[in-house]
Amino acid sequence: MRFATTLLALAASTALAATAVAQQPIKVGLSGPFTGGSASMGVSMRDGVKLAVGEINKAGGVLGRQIVLVERDDEARNELGVQIAQELINKEQVAATLGYINTGVSLASQRFYEEAEIPVLNNVATGTAIATQFKAPEYKYNYIFRTSANDAIQSGMIAEEAVARHGFKKPAILADSTNYGQLGREDLEKALAARGVKPVAEEKFNIGDTDMTSQLLRAKQAGADVILTYAIGPELAQIANGMAKLGWKLPMIGSWTLSMATFIDNAGPNGDGALMPETFIQAPTTPKRTAFIAAYQAAYKVDRIPSPVSAAQGYDSVYLLAAAITQAKSTDGAKIRAALENLQTKVEGVVTTYDHPFTATDHEAITANIPVFGVVKAGRVVVAHAEDLAGDKALRVKAKN
Amino acid sequence: MQILAQLIVSGIAVGMIYGVIAFGYQLTFATSKTLNFGQGEALMLGSLVGLTVVAFTGYWLMLPVVLAFGLLQGAVVERLGVRQAIKTKSESGWIMATIALGIIFKNLAENIWGRDAMKFPSPLPEAPLSFAGVNVLPMEIVIVIGAIGMMLLVELFNRRSIFGKAVVATANDREAAGLMGINTSLVITFSYALSSMTAAFAGVLVAPVTLTGASMGSALGLKAFAVAIIGGLSSGFGVVVGGLILGITETLTGYYLSTGYKDVPGLVLLLLVLSFKPSGLFGRASIKKV
Repeated sequence: MRFATTLLALAASTALAATAVAQQPIKVGLSGPFTGGSASMGVSMRDGVKLAVGEINKAGGVLGRQIVLVERDDEARNELGVQIAQELINKEQVAATLGYINTGVSLASQRFYEEAEIPVLNNVATGTAIATQFKAPEYKYNYIFRTSANDAIQSGMIAEEAVARHGFKKPAILADSTNYGQLGREDLEKALAARGVKPVAEEKFNIGDTDMTSQLLRAKQAGADVILTYAIGPELAQIANGMAKLGWKLPMIGSWTLSMATFIDNAGPNGDGALMPETFIQAPTTPKRTAFIAAYQAAYKVDRIPSPVSAAQGYDSVYLLAAAITQAKSTDGAKIRAALENLQTKVEGVVTTYDHPFTATDHEAITANIPVFGVVKAGRVVVAHAEDLAGDKALRVKAKN
Repeated sequence: MQILAQLIVSGIAVGMIYGVIAFGYQLTFATSKTLNFGQGEALMLGSLVGLTVVAFTGYWLMLPVVLAFGLLQGAVVERLGVRQAIKTKSESGWIMATIALGIIFKNLAENIWGRDAMKFPSPLPEAPLSFAGVNVLPMEIVIVIGAIGMMLLVELFNRRSIFGKAVVATANDREAAGLMGINTSLVITFSYALSSMTAAFAGVLVAPVTLTGASMGSALGLKAFAVAIIGGLSSGFGVVVGGLILGITETLTGYYLSTGYKDVPGLVLLLLVLSFKPSGLFGRASIKKV
């Protein structure tokens, strides 16, 4: 009798445990800088991700299970990013990880996901190497995907805007001395060379530099007609302010960091007219974008999204992951990767509509035709060329693979 | 010619920023032979406190609040970090302690004000003034005048007032000053307070030009340290000249050589000074008796 009860209790508890597994939430890692110089991008990305997760959970979750985010602040530090990656993989056992703002952190951390066969969706970092770090044939499978416009795309667009659209012939490149600045400068040089243009000046500066007089005077003496930039907010603001000080204003065209709040706010009127490629501009150009902007503003009680690009790409990365998990019918890393590489459902995102965004060899969801140019105008980023988003061009999609 | 003049003018403005921070190093070194390695953080805190206060009071009324805050902050640093080291005659305790306090202040500031660089409202018009084709911001002129004015006031205070004389006496010979009835540990606390006050003042002075933020102190503090060594830690006049030398070398090298090597000549100069005149260009060589 007693034995039978024990057996019954055992059976009951096993059954309970089984249902508990079925209803266990799906853990998804989130790594980004929520404090520090790139915090405005990190926080916007996180808020976009949380918005999407909230919507999905409210609608019943994925595979009937809720998504739980495990958020970690990597402070834009490579070594901290690595620690977080190991924690998320080994201790939290996440199904996938979203995030990364900084190329360095991303490159340092992803190795652990590749080894653990857990997919990563890079939603902001732009270093060209990120999505091809583990490409075939050296690696059998690549677990790293991306939903942002990489530096090769951005520098190509900057060169096209400067040379083809505006007819500038003598660009000066001003880039900071970090990996971001110097790798971007190389990409930019290549893109200009492809159009037969050689920069008349290439100047460097350090993070924290407050005076840009030498750099700007060299560009001026070389007869530059446009300033191309690869740097981050505060130093970009010093460039704009430095030009105002010298009483010499040239158009500024640069990577998407020209949309950072630290540039716009610190440069003030001196920053007006700066042009940068953007995958998303806070403007209601499609119904999906209108809904997203309204939802973001309501959820976080802001008018201006601190970094609209990061928020939108973060939001979209969640829906892509959710679609892949649904298709894989599993949270197994290898199955999610296979589903991402052959995604059957069309995912309607904020940036674009994702129709087979990835293949086994192509892990970049964004192609050069998707971003458009934004321009700083009275403290906000607005669409630079209205015709870019006119009519059915508002929704720009990746060409079929 | 016009370019050279422009480079020198910009170099002077940058150099004065370095010099005014380095002046704070010199103040505490004179009395206690110790330095506050958190000088850059004292500048940053002054600037951020100023940014918070300026919204309520306007620029000029904000100054006394920031000066008072600086005095207090310096006294705290001395009490927590330096006093114990001096008491136990520790050679290096104060180095670690002031660095640690600097890091704590930086983290504190990051939590209160965030880590983004912010714009400090300029009390003067931001349009440049032009003299014979050389452009200069009104605020840059204020930095130069303010820095020199502040240093003159501190020197005047040290030479004329009775408290100042106690400071000078302590600087000359701490033991003897103590025997003459001067409370030397109070004088040292005071020199730290004064040093942080000059840093806080420097913070609100340079902020409209450099942007404000929790990380603004690190780069500036380090440059100022180089300046203090070049100019000589025992000479108030020396650090000003040291600042100008470093500022002007930076802009000139940046233009005539390459912007990638902008910081190199300053550091070479630092090494040269350390090898040939370790007490600095204007410092007095002191013989340490053991």
